Amino acid sequence: MNDMALNSGWLLRVRGLTKIYGQPDGDSIARTGPQASTNICPVTGAIVACAGIDFDLYPGEVLGVVGESGSGKSTLVQLLYFDQPPTAGSAFFTALDNGTTDLFTLSNQRRRHVRNHLLGMVYQNPRDGLNFNFTAGGNIAEKLIMAGSMNVASIRERSSNLLRQTEVPVARMDQTPRTFSGGMQQRVQISKAIANHPPLLFLDEVTSGLDVSVQAKVLDMIRQIQSELGISMIVVSHDLGVIRMLTDRTLVLKNGRIVESGLTDQILQDPQHAYTQLLVSSLL
Amino acid sequence: MARLLEIRGLEKQFLLHILNGKRIAALHSIDCEIEEGEILGLTGKSGSGKSTLMKCLYRTYLPTAGQILYHSASLGPVDLARADEHTIIHLRRTEITYCSQFLQVIPRVPALDVVAEPMIRRGADREAALGRAREAFERLGLPTELWDAFPATFSGGEQQRINIARAVISGPRFLLLDEPTASLDAKTKDAVIDMILELRQSGCSIALISHDAHTMQRLASRRLHLAEGRMEEEVHA
Repeated sequence: MNDMALNSGWLLRVRGLTKIYGQPDGDSIARTGPQASTNICPVTGAIVACAGIDFDLYPGEVLGVVGESGSGKSTLVQLLYFDQPPTAGSAFFTALDNGTTDLFTLSNQRRRHVRNHLLGMVYQNPRDGLNFNFTAGGNIAEKLIMAGSMNVASIRERSSNLLRQTEVPVARMDQTPRTFSGGMQQRVQISKAIANHPPLLFLDEVTSGLDVSVQAKVLDMIRQIQSELGISMIVVSHDLGVIRMLTDRTLVLKNGRIVESGLTDQILQDPQHAYTQLLVSSLL
Repeated sequence: MARLLEIRGLEKQFLLHILNGKRIAALHSIDCEIEEGEILGLTGKSGSGKSTLMKCLYRTYLPTAGQILYHSASLGPVDLARADEHTIIHLRRTEITYCSQFLQVIPRVPALDVVAEPMIRRGADREAALGRAREAFERLGLPTELWDAFPATFSGGEQQRINIARAVISGPRFLLLDEPTASLDAKTKDAVIDMILELRQSGCSIALISHDAHTMQRLASRRLHLAEGRMEEEVHA
């Protein structure tokens, strides 16, 4: 984890980020959340996936997001990666217009530009991040082409370098990820996500479902990429071990709200909120 | 000597929601100072609050009340009890190091890399950092066949030496040392003590917890005794 410049300020500033599914009324947010132990509005049935999320991410920082299934963790990164539009809220990113433009007000074209040049995403399910009809190399090439690379030879060279970096046998570059193991698919996804040197990478439960030896390898690779390239990351995981290993700071989500945030070791050793205390004491 | 740290009225209570809101008072109105270049020894029975105090200084624990004024080389005075998280992260990466008695292993990272990592993060060249790590292992008598192995399966004493080496070669300005010699034999203990004394020579200030009389006697320039979360007496060594 690279040294972050203390005074350079934030890289990403998120304020009031909210996503509601269904037909909420004016009180749906007030009727949901940790105090109500639900994210489903009892009156309207609207689902408040996340509401009022505020945080700053610093350059080179790795921020963890933990919480149980349905707490809104994945929604949070999907909103920031433009997979779905938020209901309310803003996000400013210093890699774009020096942080003066709200990402959610961008035109489709500029949004594509941000997604292709400035962000990377690794999903829990490799099928969400890779096209299984393309070869491994083709998947990476697609990302490079979307960011404007045109020269076939240089695309191929860059793709094979990325695969080498993520320890995917280059000999298998021309095969589809369908024929790869889960760990290899995840590493191809990571290659694709970092292909354009994005300053910000989202990792959504990237090691869930992998056996421990493969998990260790993927985590080690993420640590290496982080320390070599200094990429800022948001790591979503329900696994506190992953959070402990990768992150400096952690947000704890419950029923779509941040119930606690702090230094990761403080969250794990001196949790303040009742839910976090329960979460930490449930650790194997 | 210039002052490095001033602790005023430090309190730590744990509020346990899972025990129906039970409160455990771990530290009561702690006042003390650490001067630059000194080794402050903390003594007291198990459960007296020594490690709690160390963890409050590192902000692994959130102090309930009071002030911990740290005079940073790069940032000037910082209240570690209240400073924002990014300031704490910055200080941890550049000035303040915590060395616990237990190694938190990083899966599949060889011993040498574990030790070199914080030094590299502080801007050192990789080869130079690995060289320092080898040197430290040699002095601490860690068998060479372990240098490239993964520490997860190492013995308690081997893991402890990795921890010490990692903390010492990172060149901290302020080191929090919790039981550095607990599972070591006499010879290795002295090697650790010599390394810590050298670190102090280079200007590092240290807060030390040890139940080992020999370690305390050789290292501590001053001692504070804790009992039931209160500061009891000050002994000048």
